[in-house]
Amino acid sequence: MTTTVKLEADALQVYRSDKEVLSGISFSLSSSEVYALLGGNGAGKSTTLLSFLGFLPAAGGRVLVNGKDVSADHKAARAAIAYLPEAASLYEHLNAFENLRYFLQLAGRSEDSPALEAALDRVSLAPASRARRLKDYSKGMRQKVAIALAILRDTDILLLDEPTSGLDPSAIDEFHDLIRDLADTGKTILMVTHDVYGACQVADRIGLLRGGKLVGEFSAPTDGRIETETVHRAFSGRTVDTQLAV
Amino acid sequence: MSATLTITTDEWRYWLRSKLALAVVALFVVILVGVSALTNLRIEAEAHEREHHQEVSEETFLDQPDRHPHRMVHYGHYVFRAPMPLAIFDPGLDAITGQTLFLEGHRQNSATFSASASSADLGGLSWLTPALMYQLFAPLLVILLGHGAIVREREAGTLPALLAQGLTGRRLVAGKLLALALFVTLLLVPVLISGVIALSAGERVLAAASLLGVYLVYLLIWVALTLLVSTLAENRATAIAVLAAAWLALTLVLPAAAVNTTTQTAPLAGKIETELTMLTEIRDLGDGHDVDDSVYNDVQASLLAEYGAASIEELDINIRGVLAQKAEADLTETLNVYADRRMAAEMRQSDRVSAHGWLTPTLAVAVASRTLAGTDLFHYHRFLRQAEALRINFVQGLNRAHAEALSYTDDINRNRDEASWERARIDASNWQVLDSFQYESASASDRVAGAQWSIAMLAAWIAVLTLLLAWAGGRLKP
Repeated sequence: MTTTVKLEADALQVYRSDKEVLSGISFSLSSSEVYALLGGNGAGKSTTLLSFLGFLPAAGGRVLVNGKDVSADHKAARAAIAYLPEAASLYEHLNAFENLRYFLQLAGRSEDSPALEAALDRVSLAPASRARRLKDYSKGMRQKVAIALAILRDTDILLLDEPTSGLDPSAIDEFHDLIRDLADTGKTILMVTHDVYGACQVADRIGLLRGGKLVGEFSAPTDGRIETETVHRAFSGRTVDTQLAV
Repeated sequence: MSATLTITTDEWRYWLRSKLALAVVALFVVILVGVSALTNLRIEAEAHEREHHQEVSEETFLDQPDRHPHRMVHYGHYVFRAPMPLAIFDPGLDAITGQTLFLEGHRQNSATFSASASSADLGGLSWLTPALMYQLFAPLLVILLGHGAIVREREAGTLPALLAQGLTGRRLVAGKLLALALFVTLLLVPVLISGVIALSAGERVLAAASLLGVYLVYLLIWVALTLLVSTLAENRATAIAVLAAAWLALTLVLPAAAVNTTTQTAPLAGKIETELTMLTEIRDLGDGHDVDDSVYNDVQASLLAEYGAASIEELDINIRGVLAQKAEADLTETLNVYADRRMAAEMRQSDRVSAHGWLTPTLAVAVASRTLAGTDLFHYHRFLRQAEALRINFVQGLNRAHAEALSYTDDINRNRDEASWERARIDASNWQVLDSFQYESASASDRVAGAQWSIAMLAAWIAVLTLLLAWAGGRLKP
C-alpha cells in the first residue's frame, strides 16, 4: 500500500494565553497509521489536536493536513478531519439519531437512516437505546455515538481526544478493535490519551509529550504491539532519556 | 438545509424540549394575553363612555332653555378626548394627563396647567399595559431563553465539535440569532392583533405597521445583546449576571435617571408661581363685565363714532356683548401666551428625556411607541389646543349673540323685576354656536415623523450590536 503523509507538525510552537504550550514539536502520520500522543495533564495534547484543526495559530513552525498548511486553509483541514472532542460532546436533548443527523448536516452531509443504523451497529450501541435522549446515556454510550459520527463523517483523518476516558474495559477493547479496523481501511488516526496501556494496545507509534515537548517516540515492531512496560517507564519519567527515538 | 437553518431548527427543538423554557414562555404569554385583553376592554369601555358623555354634554348645552347669553358663557361645556385606536396597546400618558376638560368663559381650566412632573414621566408605570409588557418583561424572556445559546455550547464542550464540522463562529451565531429572531417575531403576534383591531377602529396602516416595526427592532436589540453576552461569557452564570444587570440598568435605572436628571436640570415653573404672574397681567386687561372700565374707553368711543350715537344706550348693538368679546379675546391671548409657554417648556423637558434613548433602547421604544400611538405629550397638548379652539369659538359666539340679540337696555335692567328678567333672555337657538367636538390626532405620517429620532436611536442600537455580534462571532474559539 502506498503511504502518504496525512498529518504533520513541523517544529510547531503554540501559545495559549501568553503561555508557551507547545515548544517546537515535530511528528508526522501517514495513511493507515494510528499515532497516540501520550502525556499528562497540561502536556499539550489537546492543543496539538486543536492546532491541526486550525483553532490555534502556530507561533512558530507549521501544521500540515494532507500536505497543506492549515494556517492557509483551515476550512480544507476541518473538512478532511473527523474530530472527537474529549468527553463525547454531544447534545443531551437529542437522541442518537438526532445527534448524528445534526452534526452531519452541519458538516454538509446527509445520511439516510440505514446508514446511521449501520454506524451505530458498528460501534455496538444497543438498538433499544438509540431513540432515547442522550441525557439517559452512560459515558460509554455517548462515546459510541461520537465514534459513530466520526465513522459517518467518512474522512481520511480522525483526531480523537481521550477517546477511552470513562469507558469500561470491555468497551475499551471494542473501541480498540474499531480503531484498528478503521486504520486497516486507510484512515489516519491521531489520538491523545494518558492511558499508557490503551495507547500501546492500539497505536502504531506513540509520542511522549511532556511540558510541550516531544520527549520520546515509540514504534511498534512489525509483528507486534509496543511494549507497555517500556512506555510506562518513560511516561513516569524514569527512563526518558534512554528511550528516545526507538 | 443550510448550516444556519440547521442550528436555528435545533435551537427551537432545544426550547421545545425544555420544560423550564416552555413554562416561562407560557407564563409570559398568559400574562400578555390577559393584560392585552383587559387593556383592550378598558380602553374600549372608556371610548364608549367618553363618546356617550360628549353627546350628553352637547345635548345638555343645546337643550338649555332661553337664557341670558352670559349665563351660558358661565354654564360652560365639557369636552372629552376619545382614546386613540392604538391606545389599546399603549395608553401612554393618557392615564395621567386626564381626558376631560371643562370649557367656560374667561378661563382655561386646569388641564392646561397640570402637574409638572407628568410631562417627564415615562407614563403608565402605575399600571400594566401591553406596551409595558414588551418594554420591560419581553427582554427578560429573551434573556432567559437566549443567555445560554452560545455559552452553553462552550460549557457542554459541544463548541469544538460544532466548529470542527467546518462551521464558522459567525454562522453559529447567525443560526442562534435567527432562532431568537423568529421567537420574538412570534411574540409580537398580540401587537399585530392590536394593530388589526386599531385598524378596524380607524387607525392607519402606516402607524400600526410602524408600531409593530419599532417593537420588532427593540426586541431584536435585546436578542443581539443577549447573544453578544452569551458569545463573550465564559459560563452561563456570568452571562445571566451580566444580562440581569444590563436589564436593570437599561429598563429601570437609566429611564428613571433620565426623568430625574431632566426634572432637576430643566424644571418647569410651578403652578402657583405661574398663575400669580399671569393673574397680575390679567388684572391690567380690564373687566369686560364693566362698561365703565376705563380700559375700554377707546372701544366705547370707537363704537359711538361707528354708529353715530351720542350714548351707549343709542347704539344699535349691546355694548356689553361687544366688550365681552373684546375682553375674552384679550384674556385668551394672554392665557394662550402662558399656555404656549408652558407647553413649550413641557415639550423641551420631554424632548430632553427622549434624548436619553441614545443610552437606553427602552426609553427610545417607549417614546416611539407613545408617539406612534398618539398617546404622548404632543397629542395631549394637541387635545388642549383643540379644546381651547372650541372654547373660544362658542364663548365668542355667545358674546356675539349677547351683542346682537339682546338690547343694552334690557340687559342692564334685567334685575328690576320678573318681566325684565324674562326680557333679558335670548332664544335658545343661539346655543347652536357650539360646534360638536371630536378630537383629531396628528396624521399617521406626522406621527411617524415625530418618532423619527427615537426610531433612529433604535436603528443605531441594532446597528452597533450587530457589528459587535459579528466581531464576537468571528473570534469564537473552542
